[in-house]
Amino acid sequence: MQESSYFSQYSPIKGVWDEMYGENDIRDHYSKVIDYLSRESAEDLSRKEELAKRLFMSQGITFTVYSSGEGIEKIFPFDIIPRIITADEWAFVEKGIKQRLNALNLFLKDVYNNQFIVKDGIVPIDIIYSCPHFLREMYQLQVPYDIYVHIAGIDLIRDHDGTFYVLEDNLRTPSGVSYMLENREITKRLFPDLMPQCSVRSVTEYPTILYKNLLSLSPRQISNPTIVLLSPGIYNSAYFEHTTLARLMGVELVEGRDLVVKNQKVYMKTTIGLQQVDVIYRRVDDEYLDPLVFNPASILGVAGIMGAYRTGNVAIVNAIGNGVADDKAVYAYVPEMIKYYLNEEPILKNVPTYQLSNQDEREHVFENINKMVVKKTNGSGGYGMLMGHASSDEEIEDYKKEILKDPRNFIAQPTISLSAAPCYMQGGLHPRRIDLRPYALCGPDGIEIVPGGLTRVALKEGSLVVNSSQGGGSKDTWVLA
Amino acid sequence: MLSRVAASLYWLSRYVERSDGILRMLKINYASSQDTVQEFTWEPVIRIFAGHDEETQKLGNDSRAVMRYMVCGKNNPNSILNIITLARENARGVQEHITKDLWQCLNEYYHTVKDNRIDNALKKDDPVSVLDVLIKQVMLYYGTVEITMERGEGRSYMNIGKYLERGIQSVDILDTKFGSIDDNPDLLTDTTYWKHLLLSLGGYELYLKTYREGFEAENVLEQVVLNNDFPRSVIYSVNHIQRYFERLKNDSNIDDYRELSFYIGRLQSHIKYSSVKTIKEEGLHLFLTQIRSQLYGIGDALNNHYFANS
Repeated sequence: MQESSYFSQYSPIKGVWDEMYGENDIRDHYSKVIDYLSRESAEDLSRKEELAKRLFMSQGITFTVYSSGEGIEKIFPFDIIPRIITADEWAFVEKGIKQRLNALNLFLKDVYNNQFIVKDGIVPIDIIYSCPHFLREMYQLQVPYDIYVHIAGIDLIRDHDGTFYVLEDNLRTPSGVSYMLENREITKRLFPDLMPQCSVRSVTEYPTILYKNLLSLSPRQISNPTIVLLSPGIYNSAYFEHTTLARLMGVELVEGRDLVVKNQKVYMKTTIGLQQVDVIYRRVDDEYLDPLVFNPASILGVAGIMGAYRTGNVAIVNAIGNGVADDKAVYAYVPEMIKYYLNEEPILKNVPTYQLSNQDEREHVFENINKMVVKKTNGSGGYGMLMGHASSDEEIEDYKKEILKDPRNFIAQPTISLSAAPCYMQGGLHPRRIDLRPYALCGPDGIEIVPGGLTRVALKEGSLVVNSSQGGGSKDTWVLA
Repeated sequence: MLSRVAASLYWLSRYVERSDGILRMLKINYASSQDTVQEFTWEPVIRIFAGHDEETQKLGNDSRAVMRYMVCGKNNPNSILNIITLARENARGVQEHITKDLWQCLNEYYHTVKDNRIDNALKKDDPVSVLDVLIKQVMLYYGTVEITMERGEGRSYMNIGKYLERGIQSVDILDTKFGSIDDNPDLLTDTTYWKHLLLSLGGYELYLKTYREGFEAENVLEQVVLNNDFPRSVIYSVNHIQRYFERLKNDSNIDDYRELSFYIGRLQSHIKYSSVKTIKEEGLHLFLTQIRSQLYGIGDALNNHYFANS
């Protein structure tokens, strides 16, 4: 069999874990895909790339960017070469995430009730009370089954020897799961017969599991409770995801203006009058959820919903106030939490994290800033980060001033090099840095993780930032049976 | 069903129906502009679908300019581009209430009309081919609705929107076309004038089968207002509004239902118990004005009682 030229040209990045290329050879779990692909010419692959774009566009898997009064449809960049995870790697990741999520749920229950972990001196009190996402409104509020995090999108990365690390815990409204589902559908179209040959595990169970969990949370014991997905509306960049999930679960997609609270119960306005709502899967941030309690200018939420929640007349998913558990300063204490609550050794490693509010650690970070990534503790989407190795002296000095104004707001981590996977671009295969976000669902029966997830990829050469807002794309993610 | 969802389905359907009317009107008028010894005027088309302002004044009788304005005009709120954008926005907000096929179909219609090639082709190539491409999108839409949409509340709102829009269009077209006779009585006996009116409503073949004595204004009026079998007649539209509204009957909002049911029934009787003779006695313009305002009244009542906008 003749190998196409784009394979022979593939050169892994030195000192970086390559998902496809082991020591001088292609790893076993990639070999079938490579066999398949090498039968295709570069033109074939370019055509497939075109087809992928067209499918995303015609199916409306787009987000709209508004400029000069006109909407422009954009697609989230997609790389056609799948990222492959072996059964062993997955078993490890799955076990690690379940353990971590268990501990985080216990932490949230604890921190909003008795705060044993603080009293026992494991997590310092000031780090909790200074977190803007710690909400006093949640204090002693009982949530069904003590589950706070129903849906988690924990971001994992791999350093130079392939070890998995947790980069961040997304426990508020993690997004991207529709891309896990749609990328898979597109791959089926691009590479006929390939997936059965490789025994790739299916991800289609996700909406079914989520629906089952939502159903179990209904405060009213009735045969057909009303479940809704609360979206900020069509101008939200994740709107496509909201409609996809609502459709796949067969639940009503609502906006804040469709809901009203009466006698501490939530209703939706229908053509035949008001209908009581039992479970809300909300994709609106805490801050905008209830103008009476949080941001008074918000029109995305529902006035009085917090009261209904406190009374227990409605279940909200994820719980409000989860931000205290995925705060980047609290992140540093997650391994301790696992030991404290579960009496287990953490399976997944944390990236070493320096608290800049601690003077010694801050000085250490400032001295070694070229090897550090500095982040805001409540930032997301890759905004407001400083990548030490890629910044000018001037940028670093400006950023240091920012840090000194409010050190609690910042943490630093040594630059982790992120593993690379082959991407098809400019008619050839090139290594690009990736991460992995599996979606864990927590219900009364325990935690379930569909085998797969979203692999985000930094499409720019040399870039370590995979966020879609910063030029990142995604890949289909295969977990082998 | 959420009130917002019902309203979106209703509007999405009205917009697509309107685009169908505009496209067919443009196609026939273009053909007619190529087939006349007198100076052809686009004025009635502009009056029905765009209204008069400075911009439409500038278009004059330049067929290509008019068609580009009506299809791709960014400043024309009723251009195909703008109404299909709105139809798609409405569909986007209710994606889980329409089938995936239907969403993809509308999405494709939107991308087709948004493509610069449409505007370029209207500038240089054969405009009929362009209009046919778009008309085909509408036909795909109707086929997709027919085949894939569940027979439920949502489809009833879509159908009410569709027939309300169609009824209003037919009334507007008749009012404009018959209004022109007041200025130019020769038109009354101009057979091509009536032929084009029928063609633009898709009622030409039916007319030929029904009336053997050639093109008469009165017969045209009868077909477009009173013929139960002509899918674009006013009575046909009103009958269908009534038919799909009846399916919305529900015990929990019986008062709202009764009020609307009354408006629709009254309108239906008004048309049903009219004849060409009584319409002429009453005065055609007055008759059409009343029908139009009653159709609008139904739209307003839906808005107040069913779409939670009161």
